Amino acid sequence: MADNKPEDFEQYWGDTLGELAALPARPEIEAVPMRDTDSATAYGVYFTGLGSYRLFAYLSIPKGEGPFPALYYTAGYGSVVTPIPQGASNDIRSRHITFSIAARGSRNADKPYAASFPGLLTDGIENPANYRLRGIAADCVRGLEVLLARPEVDASRVVLIGADMALLTAGLASGASHVVAGPALLYKTLEMAEATNAYPLQEINDYLRLHKKAKTAVTRTLSYFDVRWHAPSIEATSLLKAGPVQSATDKIALASLTTAISGPVTVHESENSGYKDGLFADKWVSSQLGFDAPILPEHWR
Amino acid sequence: MPRTPPHHYASKVRKPAGFDSFWDGVLEQAAAIPLSAKTAPARLRSPADIETFEVHFNSLDGVRIAGWYCLPRERSKKLPAILTVPGYLGEPPIPLDWARKGYAVISVAPRGKLRSNDQFNPGYPGLLTHNITDRNTYGYKGFYVDAMRGLDYLLTRDEVDVKRIGVVGSSQGGGLAIVAAAMRPEIAAASAGAPYLCGFMDAIGLTSTYPYQEINDYLRLHPDSRKEVEETLAYFDGMSFAERITCPIVVNIGLQDNICPPETGYEVFNKIASEEKRLYTYDGHAHDAGSHEHSQIIDAFFSRHLNP
Repeated sequence: MADNKPEDFEQYWGDTLGELAALPARPEIEAVPMRDTDSATAYGVYFTGLGSYRLFAYLSIPKGEGPFPALYYTAGYGSVVTPIPQGASNDIRSRHITFSIAARGSRNADKPYAASFPGLLTDGIENPANYRLRGIAADCVRGLEVLLARPEVDASRVVLIGADMALLTAGLASGASHVVAGPALLYKTLEMAEATNAYPLQEINDYLRLHKKAKTAVTRTLSYFDVRWHAPSIEATSLLKAGPVQSATDKIALASLTTAISGPVTVHESENSGYKDGLFADKWVSSQLGFDAPILPEHWR
Repeated sequence: MPRTPPHHYASKVRKPAGFDSFWDGVLEQAAAIPLSAKTAPARLRSPADIETFEVHFNSLDGVRIAGWYCLPRERSKKLPAILTVPGYLGEPPIPLDWARKGYAVISVAPRGKLRSNDQFNPGYPGLLTHNITDRNTYGYKGFYVDAMRGLDYLLTRDEVDVKRIGVVGSSQGGGLAIVAAAMRPEIAAASAGAPYLCGFMDAIGLTSTYPYQEINDYLRLHPDSRKEVEETLAYFDGMSFAERITCPIVVNIGLQDNICPPETGYEVFNKIASEEKRLYTYDGHAHDAGSHEHSQIIDAFFSRHLNP
């Protein structure tokens, strides 16, 4: 099967978002005093996603007069969701709203469905309607709606942060001003899987080894999720995190994605250093949000 | 005020007087528990050159622990083995890469990780402060034992050469590697990257990042518990374990590590008693601790000591 955007791509996602829109989010919020700081208040937010599934997010709101810019940490590939990413200075909560979603399958949103790792990437993969990532993408869209409904949010400064799901959310929903993301699993997935034996992409290889006849169906399902086909709908200002030079996702390799994104794009090629890559991203976000300098962890200052 | 250069930092952690007797007692208690291991082929996760098994075994408090066990399909003699121990947030990976290098390898999911969380599930954040005021019930007591039970599993395997077993991990895995190397003489070589669980009470003053931030969160709500927290953590601190390590060991740290401060990495390394030990410091690197470059050093280190 050709590596193309499906003809019914818009229909598939239109139906998905229509189904989501028919379900009220019904957010409920509770204080999480354990995670308060002197300058921010922590909450847990429960809300409804596709299939009436109850989802969860950590929400932190700075004390004082808003509105505040918001950092939305979209769903990654793992069971654990933390209030802010490991390694980020907790002080960022003093000037940003932070919102960290537990999509279906992750801890705090793992009833009735607890995702397995490895396993999630191929769960339902032979049918686009049943593929787990469909629900997770819709969860991320719902999370953005819930965040934007908060009166404390400065709607002109909302940053989606993450990997594939940040890009999908930016493509499927309006409301984010910025995106910071690097494609990880949903960019030319089959081709990338064939070139590696590392998990999570190895899950695809495992699946196709046991289900040899499923390749056409798997290819079709994944084509609805490939970030290249979502890119034209991304109008936010984006920082695209590319792999290191001469990797399968370096700046040159990602050209087809970069040029397809409608909004302004900055591409940063990884330097194989969490420090250098993180510093670049933090400075970029800070500058885009109109601050003089980023709030950095102690060892980056 | 400028920070003290990390290699000049002096840890505040003091090994408790009762440390050795406490841990000798814990290990004695664990040794009395039958492993009751089950090893089931994981066909879906077994590529052409590797056999993968899902394993389960018993640990402290009757908690059933999961792991992935991988073997190279082509093997004609006993294999050296690797115990891999996981980071704080991620799930233990299926260690195909180590098996491909010629090792029998187990990747353990200590209690609270997926597949080992039916009986113990403090969550994240949460694990780091679970029962933190009592060393006898602190969450990491069982967690440390679970990691070492992975070694016990390897010792039961006919295909493993029990004289050639190493331990490797980074972040929380780096801390667990230090604990296992300290407590278990069967460990012949160890690699600890960006070690977490070392200098807990130092780290909470050096960083404002999670996971160590969990302790600050706890102390803000429970300020009167500080003494008990300090006392408990000293029993679980890599600084207290390090002087018991005598096997060859390599440690790597990032000098801009924003999660496990390099100050604590230097200090735990200085306390390691091994004659053959080497610290690799990576300037310009954070919690990755130079892993892109350092992975080849780890491979060569184990190749030299375990001879796959």
